[in-house]
Amino acid sequence: MSNFIQILFSSLEIGSVYALAALGIIIIFRTSQLINFAQGSLGMFSAYIAAFFIQGGESSLEVQVMKHSTIIAVLVGMLAAFLMGVIIDFLVVRRAKKQTSPLALPIITLGIVMMLTGLAPIVFGGNPLAFPRFIENASVSILGVTIMVNSIVCIILGFMVLAAVFLFLQNTVWGLAVRTTASNETTARLMGVPTKIVTMVAWAVAAALGALSALILAPSTVVDIVMMDGVQLNAFIACVLGGFQTFYGPVIGAYILALTKNIFGFYISTTWGTAINYVLILIFIVIRPYGLFGKKTVKKV
Amino acid sequence: MKLTKTKTFPYWKYIIVCLLFLVMLPLNAAGIVSGSTLLILGTVIFYAVVGVGMNILLGYSGLITLGGAGFMGLAAYLSGFCSTRLGLPFILCLVISIAVPTVIGLGIGVVSLRLEGFYLAIATLGIGEILRQVFVEFEPFTNGFSGMRAAYPKLFGIVLTREVTYAFYAIILLIVMILVHNIVNSATGRALLAMKGSESAAQAMGISLLKYKLIAFAISTVLTALGGVMYMHLIKYSYPTVWGLGMSLNFLSISVIGGMQTVLGAVLGALFVIAVPELVIKQLPVIGTLTGVAYVFNGLFIVLVLLFYSDGLIRIGSDVKKLVGKIRGKKNDIDQRSGT
Repeated sequence: MSNFIQILFSSLEIGSVYALAALGIIIIFRTSQLINFAQGSLGMFSAYIAAFFIQGGESSLEVQVMKHSTIIAVLVGMLAAFLMGVIIDFLVVRRAKKQTSPLALPIITLGIVMMLTGLAPIVFGGNPLAFPRFIENASVSILGVTIMVNSIVCIILGFMVLAAVFLFLQNTVWGLAVRTTASNETTARLMGVPTKIVTMVAWAVAAALGALSALILAPSTVVDIVMMDGVQLNAFIACVLGGFQTFYGPVIGAYILALTKNIFGFYISTTWGTAINYVLILIFIVIRPYGLFGKKTVKKV
Repeated sequence: MKLTKTKTFPYWKYIIVCLLFLVMLPLNAAGIVSGSTLLILGTVIFYAVVGVGMNILLGYSGLITLGGAGFMGLAAYLSGFCSTRLGLPFILCLVISIAVPTVIGLGIGVVSLRLEGFYLAIATLGIGEILRQVFVEFEPFTNGFSGMRAAYPKLFGIVLTREVTYAFYAIILLIVMILVHNIVNSATGRALLAMKGSESAAQAMGISLLKYKLIAFAISTVLTALGGVMYMHLIKYSYPTVWGLGMSLNFLSISVIGGMQTVLGAVLGALFVIAVPELVIKQLPVIGTLTGVAYVFNGLFIVLVLLFYSDGLIRIGSDVKKLVGKIRGKKNDIDQRSGT
């Protein structure tokens, strides 16, 4: 039982990482109709910026100020990601939409992946950087299991951000604009929705979500160029599991994925847990091709 | 005269490319081209083989795969295992190393290609990661992080030298280019292009989408695996971290930068993506010393080519010709017409 609670908490924590990345992917997919392979790399680059920001002033700061500066670093990282999203949309995606080939956009995001992974070691040096926890070394006991306070903070932070994004999508005019653009871009433009701004904001918000997911992950690993590869893949698989037709599907998919991954990892094999998970989800696609919450879309010719 | 000749025999351009690669051998013997340059050009050859496979998938059928490095690595390890540990003849190793990845690839294709095209990209991304983990964990088979060694190919009882291996590879590239040229210009190639243009229209014409997508994916996997075998017996060393996403992205850049819908584009792309960073950028004073610079350079070129020059570098020749023709003016144009 105590093992299971441990698994549950670590799944919720890693699930928030996957869910934030998956939400970013699905927001871009729904508004721009493209698979964004650069979601993880954008997060990785922002994590580098945040870690660099912390390290720059580390020696002169006291511990008390350190906590403060972690939060500032997170905000700086997210802001940087937000700006990168705006720049990518403005310089690349908007122009590439005029291309006739539907392949051009996803391949362009792969080009962005190559640029970001190449640039990171040039700008920030080849050594991996460390990123501190929000709250160091404090732990509480829940049902006889010791849980890091930081994990709980991360879980709550993940839930709060996800809730904020969904409230924004459901209850504001801009959220309505995003949903309209997602449902049909041409009609939305005819109805006076500024789809260009919507797409730009979607890219910016998605990049910021990617940055937050990277920064929640960062303390348990190190900030380096491959840190987000697994997250990127798991976020995709979460989208496949939840279906590409809704905003909430991938998020729920992400938490399910994290839980099954940890269960397989704990009860079957630590090294092959992830692989078993992927294979099971491939089989799941055969049975239910459009995911848990997806519907079969009928394309009119 | 020349025009009619190229029409009856369309392979001249491939033979010329092969000869250009082969010419490097006497130049190497004469000491003009260094041994390391020859090795880089050998690398370009097997990347070009993989690139030709990518072009069938990306340019002719409009599908993206991100597991290329995994399949290539699997073929490399299998070939190394069969030839070094089991001592099987090279041809048998080649057949086994190509068959196994292709069967696995077809299995994944059957699952993911029933859905929209991008599911293949996600599925192959996952399989690539799993294969890389297999390379790390299956130590009795792959030697794990210590890496696996292999020798130059042994044909008809003779172990080839580096120079002969290079020539052998250039001829493999020639055969691959001619075969793919024929596939692309056959009914299969036309079906693939129809499918890329519009899946619904192709289906209405009686083209089975799953069948042709699987054919394209299978051809691409066969060529990727062939590239893996060639890698193993030229580089002679395989290490798990080589076969990551970065290499799959290199294949993609070869295809996109060279020109997706051509056979020769892959060779040009491989030269640009592999040889230019090694031979040119590394010689530059400040930029050359930075580690990730080749990667940034290739990524930038993918974006630029797709935004402004979507046919790829292969088009530069004919575009320059057009430009020169424009500058020369009408008089020359009329002369040319009356001349023929």
